[in-house]
Amino acid sequence: MAAASLAAVPDPAEIPAFLSVDGLKKHFGGVKALDGVSFSLLKGEVHALVGENGAGKSTLIKILSGVFPYDSGSISLAGEDYRPANPHVAKELGVQVVHQEFNLLDHLSIAENISVERMPTTRFGLLDKQEMNRRARLALDAIGLTDVDVKAPVSSLGIAHRQLVEISRALQCKSQILILDEPTATLTERETKRLFDIIASIKAEGVTVVFVSHHLDEVFAICDRVTVFRNGVSIGTDRISDTTPDGVVQKMVGRQLAATTNEADPDRVPGELALRLDEFCTQANPKEKGVSFDLSYGEIVGIAGLVGAGRTEILRGIFGVDPIRSGRILQAGNEVRFNGPRDAIAAGIGFVTEDRKDEGLILDMPIAANISLANMGAVSRSGLLQFSEENRRSRDGGARLKLKYGRISDAVSSLSGGNQQKVVLAKWLARNPKVLLLDEPTRGVDVGAKAEIYAILKELAREGVALLVVSSEMPELMTLADRILVLAEHEIQGELTRPEFSEENILKLAYGQARQAGGQKQ
Amino acid sequence: MTTQTLSETMPKPTRFSVRNVLQNAGIGLALLALILFFSVFTEHFLTPNNITNILTQITINLVLAVGMTFVILIGGIDLSVGSVMAFAAVVAGKAITLPGFGPAEAIALAIVAATLTGVACGMINGVISAYWALPSFIITLGMLNIARGAALQVSDAQTIYSFPYAFEEFGSAMIYGVPVVFLVALFLVLVAWFVLNFTVFGRLLYGIGNNEEAVRLAGHSVYWYKVAAFTICGFTAGIAAIVYMARLNISSPIAGIGFELNAIAAVIIGGTSLSGGRGSVIGTLLGAFIIGVLANGLILIGLSDFMRQMITGVVIIVAVVLDYYRAKYTSK
Repeated sequence: MAAASLAAVPDPAEIPAFLSVDGLKKHFGGVKALDGVSFSLLKGEVHALVGENGAGKSTLIKILSGVFPYDSGSISLAGEDYRPANPHVAKELGVQVVHQEFNLLDHLSIAENISVERMPTTRFGLLDKQEMNRRARLALDAIGLTDVDVKAPVSSLGIAHRQLVEISRALQCKSQILILDEPTATLTERETKRLFDIIASIKAEGVTVVFVSHHLDEVFAICDRVTVFRNGVSIGTDRISDTTPDGVVQKMVGRQLAATTNEADPDRVPGELALRLDEFCTQANPKEKGVSFDLSYGEIVGIAGLVGAGRTEILRGIFGVDPIRSGRILQAGNEVRFNGPRDAIAAGIGFVTEDRKDEGLILDMPIAANISLANMGAVSRSGLLQFSEENRRSRDGGARLKLKYGRISDAVSSLSGGNQQKVVLAKWLARNPKVLLLDEPTRGVDVGAKAEIYAILKELAREGVALLVVSSEMPELMTLADRILVLAEHEIQGELTRPEFSEENILKLAYGQARQAGGQKQ
Repeated sequence: MTTQTLSETMPKPTRFSVRNVLQNAGIGLALLALILFFSVFTEHFLTPNNITNILTQITINLVLAVGMTFVILIGGIDLSVGSVMAFAAVVAGKAITLPGFGPAEAIALAIVAATLTGVACGMINGVISAYWALPSFIITLGMLNIARGAALQVSDAQTIYSFPYAFEEFGSAMIYGVPVVFLVALFLVLVAWFVLNFTVFGRLLYGIGNNEEAVRLAGHSVYWYKVAAFTICGFTAGIAAIVYMARLNISSPIAGIGFELNAIAAVIIGGTSLSGGRGSVIGTLLGAFIIGVLANGLILIGLSDFMRQMITGVVIIVAVVLDYYRAKYTSK
């Protein structure tokens, strides 16, 4: 691994930038995805882009690869103005992206996938299979996959090999800049090593590699320079040899944010044990051993971690949505097994899902119908709906959360994001849950409604409800939680108590820098 | 909060959304326009006899379309209803002609046999498509063939006839010029309307059509609700079989070919969204009327049956295109 970074590091002072981005901005409606990004790529370097989820890395990649146009700022590639109208133009100009999600056609052969963008044809305009297979062979050999049959369907490959096929497809076209978007997310250690060897060899050919990763150790193993993003802004570029993982984490967090009150809520006293997870392992968890932790009544426990760390899966597993592979859930000391959400709800558990549009709400139906969705028994008698009872309860539930609406019979889709989220909350509060699971409870919610939702959740904890909150927003967890569990790769990397709360500590654990951060006190 | 006090003063049931009313009003206006048109341009359209004719003609389609509304509301489709109707009619025909029963018993037996056959077929459709989460289009296409084959097998490809006289009487009975069988269909519409609008079951069917996952995560058994919707559709196919037998006094194994398409057309013209979650059985009633009035009026106006078929096709397409714009402009 170290070999790659030992190769001649270009000195930025000597070589002019190959691609330079200056003051790049991109807005989606009112949302600033990029709000001033400036950095440059040198010919033949490996350049890392790092930042929290939502910092703007993905948007930048999509702009560079021609998926989105940009609003303002400038990009120049080899001295020319760079403004690709679509991904095809970007590829023509030598900018290739290997996406995080696979873009392979499962039922076609590896060779067909590799050539899909430009199929070789014979004189008569027919597909030249021999040429196609020959090219694919060359492409696979180039990345060391000599033992893979190019005629085999992609569906016969494992995930790691698919990633490598995707890379070989990108390499097959002559590229100047190769962007790898979290290429190691699905790879095992051995394959990661192979990928690093491949990166080293492409780099030796003078290709610039952009490496997006959540793993700082990988960044420090193979990259020459690193640019840090935060909230749509590029914070700065450092040479790897001039910085440390801690320095990068500090830049990602931003110093000014680190000051949050670490004092516990005096009115909140954790009571009896609500749930205990014992080596709890869902089917989505590739690891042998699961996670174990306790949740008490009157307590808010936060779960932090990067996307894909397995946070949502834990909530879904507890709620009986996803099957459990091994391990146990204990409720008040007794083992429970939920065969579906119905059982979990009967046991007094509620689940505010991450995506309110797909999982939380029935957008075209009235507010009242949504609020009573999990509580139909209370608003009906022998299967008949009691409309006045439903409306009364819905209005009460709405008033409790300061829900702003026209009529209780209006469709939920007429509400703002924050009020929609309150409807999801009201739906579960209507059942007076003893345990409430929340997944990104304030995603897409404006600041005012956020504060209101925090107040509601804290109030619930004071009333003795046990809350388990998954969030990507660290200030949110630090505001709400009594304890934060940090997850990485389906394992709890550490637990932070309020005095230990800081974005740095969370990020260190989330990025697997566990050892140093673990016992460190403020 | 002022907005809340405003809603306090209007204890308005959630089911009558403005959008639904407008939607039905639009279809109603279209129907009214058709009736006006044919009344002006043909001599015989608005005569008691012809009205009785129309009511009789639309009855079977209306019965099938009521069940179809349930299935389409949950985002499914049932292509098998025409065949299931024939199968149910053949089974009931065998039952009603069994020796050794008085007319009353024979008729009761036939009704039970037809509805049970329909219910069984619908339940199979529902269980298979819901359990394996398979597209109901394919499953019911299979059932379309199974039921048709079963009808031919059971009947030995022979038409069954000579039913009790009372049965025939029921089929042609009138109350003030309104066929009794049409009143049966109308009764089904009312029951369906009640179930869809006033019961937890109906509420959740709409919910499933809109967002199945949200309903599941709220602790409801989506599986059973889906099975129930298909079973209801099978049940109405059974009822349609009885109406058909009473009207024609035969059970033919080749009855009902293509009936599923007319039933689907009535539901879609009635404003129910093919992707589920939106629509009403009152719309279906109006949709069945539009198809029936068109069929009747176009013949009276002197167009060939082929032209009538073409125009009905155009109406279906226009209805779906209109629905596209309605969905686009009413939901933001």
